[in-house]
Amino acid sequence: MATNGQGSVGIYRGTLLAGLWRENPVFRLLLGMCPTLAVTAAVKPALTMGCCVIFVLVCSNIVVSLMRNLLRPHLRILMFTLTISTFVTIADLFLKAFQPEMSAALGPYVPLIIVNCIIICRAEACASKNGLAISVIDAVGMGVGFTITLCALAGVRELLATGKLFEANVMPGWFVPWAAMGMPVGAFVTLGLMLGLVNTITGKKN
Amino acid sequence: MDKVKYFFRQSWLLIVASFCFGLLIAVANAAWQDNIFQNEEDKFNNLVKEMIPDANTTEIVLENVEVRSGKGKKKVTSVRKAVSGDGQCVGWAFTCEGSGFADKIKLVLTVDAGFEKLKGYGVLSSNETPGFGDKIKEPYYRRQFVGAPTAELELVKLGNPEDKDSKIVAVTGATVSSEAVVKIVNTFLGRIKNHMQEKGLIDNGN
Repeated sequence: MATNGQGSVGIYRGTLLAGLWRENPVFRLLLGMCPTLAVTAAVKPALTMGCCVIFVLVCSNIVVSLMRNLLRPHLRILMFTLTISTFVTIADLFLKAFQPEMSAALGPYVPLIIVNCIIICRAEACASKNGLAISVIDAVGMGVGFTITLCALAGVRELLATGKLFEANVMPGWFVPWAAMGMPVGAFVTLGLMLGLVNTITGKKN
Repeated sequence: MDKVKYFFRQSWLLIVASFCFGLLIAVANAAWQDNIFQNEEDKFNNLVKEMIPDANTTEIVLENVEVRSGKGKKKVTSVRKAVSGDGQCVGWAFTCEGSGFADKIKLVLTVDAGFEKLKGYGVLSSNETPGFGDKIKEPYYRRQFVGAPTAELELVKLGNPEDKDSKIVAVTGATVSSEAVVKIVNTFLGRIKNHMQEKGLIDNGN
């Protein structure tokens, strides 16, 4: 019994940590590239996007896990999309109601979470095959992993593009902002360098 | 009969889920609709107040005015009267929209009480290219519209932006976005002016 309990805890911990590093959606699986490149010009929108993705991931994984035994194979993608779009619409309405500035800053990228590969991937790979607990933990791990990655990218870009972090000046007076880091080219370059760094670290470990 | 049974056996979950999710969205929408509407109103009023500092409140005087933009598309807008603290009309304001470089641009346009000169425009929403097209939000470009005549505006590449005439100098590197703003203003201004003259809200200039 004790061994089983320990085993479950180990599985839960492994599932939670997988999203943070081993199966990080951005750095290891290269999923969700559209918001990763589009909303990482500053930390605030990146954090908001990350929170929206966590909410949608957790809710959709709960629903998919609960109805996994009722799903018809040929209708499952339709059911996933329906579930995800419901929670994305709720997140979008919430932002419009309580965070109008963030809603305006994120523009179409919140509704576009519907087609974010991370969410549909977790619904298909995890929630439709596992129980509620493991599905929720997987969603939290993946969501937090995605959010941390987005914030790390956004932190570097915001710092170099404006000399600020969370809109507060942090760079010395002599620093000349690199405007390009706030543009798409900055997103590609930063992501590429970070992917290279992660691959180097992973390569050394292996 | 067998076909109907088969249809329901296959799709009952989809039908039930659609109903439940629809209900969930309807509840969220009903709960937050007031906040969303209030946020939009606040943004509109703040922009009007910024352009017409004397305006205390705005009141709708014309609703559902149809404006035909390019390609036969129809847009609907409402005209509001900006009223000062002592009840005087200090200008007019209305929303207008059209296609930008990347996405739809939605503006608030304000004109003086006699509908002779523009008071300026404010951007309600746009997703123009950061660093280039989004300069339509900056005072450098917006200032050119302040005091411009309510006649057809013309976009030019060279000129003095300080001149208060119908020539608007484009933002370098963002000609499409600059042109989009001028086109939106021209499309809506002419139609609204005619409509208000027809309704006797302003002099017809004869």
